Amino acid sequence: MKRSFDASKAVDRRGFIKASALASGGLLVGTYLRFGPTSAFAEGAPGAAATFEPNVFISISSTGAVSIIAPNSEMGQGIKTGLPMIVAEELDVAWEKVVIVQGDLNPAYGRQSSVGSGSTIANYTPLRRAGATARAMLIEAAAGTWNVPAGECTTDKSFVIHATSNRRLSYGDLAAKAATLTAPANSPLKDPANFKLLGTRVPGVDNQKVVTGAPLFGIDVKLPGMVYATYTKCPVFGGKPVSANLDEVKTKLGVRDAFILDGIDGLTPGVAIVADSTWNAFSATNALKVQWNEGPVASQNSAEMAKQAEALAKATPPDALPAGATSIEAVYHYPFLAHATLEPQNCTALFKNGTMEMWTPTQMPVAGQSLVTRGLGIAPKDVVVHITRLGGGFGRRGSNEFSLEAAVIAKRLEGTPVKLMWTREHDFAHDNYRSNGWHYFNAGLDGSGKVVALHDAFVKMQGGPGDMSAGGFPFIAIPGSQVKSSKLPAGIPTGYWRAPGDNGNTWATQSFVDELANAAGRDPVAYTMDLLAAVPGATGAGAGRGGFDPAKMTAVLKLATEKAGWTRSHPRGQGQGFAITHTNNAYVAIVADVDVSKAGELAIKKLTAVVDAGTIINLSAAENQVQGAMLDGISAAWFQKILIEHGAAGQTNFDEYPMLRMNHSPPVVEVHFMKSLAPPTGLGEPGLPAAAPAICNAIFAATGKRIRTLPIVDSDLKWS
Amino acid sequence: MSTYTLRVNGQSHSVDVAPDTPMLWVLRDSLGFVGTKYGCGIGECGACTIHVDGVPKRGCQTPVSSVGSAAITTIEGIDPAGAHPLQQAWVELDVPQCGYCQAGQIMTAAALLKRTPQPTDADIDKAMGGNLCRCGSYVRVRAGIKRAAEIASAVTPAKRTGGL
Repeated sequence: MKRSFDASKAVDRRGFIKASALASGGLLVGTYLRFGPTSAFAEGAPGAAATFEPNVFISISSTGAVSIIAPNSEMGQGIKTGLPMIVAEELDVAWEKVVIVQGDLNPAYGRQSSVGSGSTIANYTPLRRAGATARAMLIEAAAGTWNVPAGECTTDKSFVIHATSNRRLSYGDLAAKAATLTAPANSPLKDPANFKLLGTRVPGVDNQKVVTGAPLFGIDVKLPGMVYATYTKCPVFGGKPVSANLDEVKTKLGVRDAFILDGIDGLTPGVAIVADSTWNAFSATNALKVQWNEGPVASQNSAEMAKQAEALAKATPPDALPAGATSIEAVYHYPFLAHATLEPQNCTALFKNGTMEMWTPTQMPVAGQSLVTRGLGIAPKDVVVHITRLGGGFGRRGSNEFSLEAAVIAKRLEGTPVKLMWTREHDFAHDNYRSNGWHYFNAGLDGSGKVVALHDAFVKMQGGPGDMSAGGFPFIAIPGSQVKSSKLPAGIPTGYWRAPGDNGNTWATQSFVDELANAAGRDPVAYTMDLLAAVPGATGAGAGRGGFDPAKMTAVLKLATEKAGWTRSHPRGQGQGFAITHTNNAYVAIVADVDVSKAGELAIKKLTAVVDAGTIINLSAAENQVQGAMLDGISAAWFQKILIEHGAAGQTNFDEYPMLRMNHSPPVVEVHFMKSLAPPTGLGEPGLPAAAPAICNAIFAATGKRIRTLPIVDSDLKWS
Repeated sequence: MSTYTLRVNGQSHSVDVAPDTPMLWVLRDSLGFVGTKYGCGIGECGACTIHVDGVPKRGCQTPVSSVGSAAITTIEGIDPAGAHPLQQAWVELDVPQCGYCQAGQIMTAAALLKRTPQPTDADIDKAMGGNLCRCGSYVRVRAGIKRAAEIASAVTPAKRTGGL
């Protein structure tokens, strides 16, 4: 088991983190981390004990070894590399010599929830301050040693330099002295124009481990004496077990125990099976027969929801269009989507001496801790959460039901570590889906083709994110716009799926604007440019309302059409389409080039994205995020739907829920970032929403066929 | 339960498991080679790709009882120093996003490069079609395979162009 987690090494050298001034100015009261940041899998530690720990993020030893804490969950967005880069930039440390250590859940680290593309936005300034404060203390230590003014000293690659006397001291040499100094309150930050590390291409810090199969992910955690569990819930949402063939299951190979769990706050009732290996747990689960009380959601299905949506939309009609306007109506529908993270949900827990220690692939470790606290009555200080790498997030791992399931089983098996593993089928069947949605659009065009009213009757499931308002583009460009929202009865769990709301609503609105442009006989790019110019306040620099800057949106669209060589002149069967979005405060324009064969086969030839995301932290990761988000949006729009049948998910594996593969992936994917010194925006999600409408608008340009229902694969694209 | 003697990454291992246990779980739970990943359990995703006598196979569809004395290679074993041309290229081009599928991608690509040292886009599309990447890293996977082909043939690398 040499490659697996070794609990004996779990107590990290940092052990207790000392009470120290927080970068943000607060005070860390700090014996919280009894286990230290284990990062579960033996991350390389500096060779010597830390000498200088100016704050919770940085430690520098007298040998010059520097380690920086990565506080947030790595799920492919590059945050384990990006956040420490921010510290390293201000610290002026040689990046290649820094050791990055994954932080555990710890309130001293600030916002550890990796959701809403917010990790970089929230941590940018605190982490810059952490680095700048440490750098100032190292400079002060050097200046004191040399008896020169601190203002005459500079730093570069882990050295303090006094150029006039040609002297330099390494951070390691200065660590002991710096540790005796008081942290200054307001160390100056660098001018972003002088950044040396930020904005460059830095490969992910764990890449070598990824490519050699080293243990990193939640599923890779292994503890001595660990047992393996499954937890089976009713396929019908809201159902619960009445009885099960537990005695028979207990006779299966390797099974240690099987029991029904019910009545625990926050826990969906179900049947736990504990075995000596994953396979034996899965095999026993296949032999499990449960009598369920399915409950009222069993009457829900997707076909019925479509009828209900139509009735709701008709029951909330918009105001009449302005007199004389030509009405353009269209109904757009997108289905439920599963997250389908490639690593199924899992969690490992050990309850011992009153402490619940957990190794969790989670986007919101604090939410998992809170669920366990509430469900089991264990104080937060006694629920220790180690954050593992996540085999994909996409919003799925913001909810933490797997944390509570693992903890409940581990509490019952006190002293024995338990790895809870969901099967792929269970993962599909018990998701918090992207809600289905319907847009009943009605727009009015005047005699010149200008849109004078835009009405939208919008329907989605009750609960979860994704509400519509008339506060976003294009509604704000059109006086008298209306959005009326209705909700289907609750029952199917919905939640945060990459770019919540925008992931479906931007497809609908950006497709419909393309329809309006075509109805008006206009070039859709020029039509959208006119709409952007009509946003109130659009004339002045940085104008706009609700945080939307039409000048920035216009600039990215203009550049995208230039880079893509925008033209409306194509042979039949070929087409270009575009779409724009303002998501997580980033501005994105995407142009898609597609071919559609006479037989109706779609091929995406090229994607061109232009993004204004403010300061780019890591150019390589930023490109990865935009490329990946575009393909994610296209994969979902092209192929995917969850249909609810009898109150349950009708698709439970990748044979029934196809995903984009290499042969459908466009051969050319260009990503261009606007040069900017503005603070960073979010970037994990903004690349997604405009991809699907760009493809659908390109399909229209190629074939004249308008996709108003997703997935695209359900439409016949044949032409002659 | 039955006892099997397996040859994994050049070494002999003895395991005592049910005959229908897929190699995926033997490798992960019994032998600690956790680089081979569970994604679907039905051979659809490719995250569990291993080599059996040099041929890429789905670990989830390969019962331990079917392996016999065949040589099993996992991601941990394709290069003793973790410096297979594909591993070098993956790090150089920063291919991984979440990274969960990448061991399977590399194992499939390694078999491709063995039989087709200079693959075309069409070769890559055909060979890699069984490996899902939920993060959509296909653009860099494709570039990574081409870069690995360059490294393997020690050709001077072409200048990197935009979009990568």
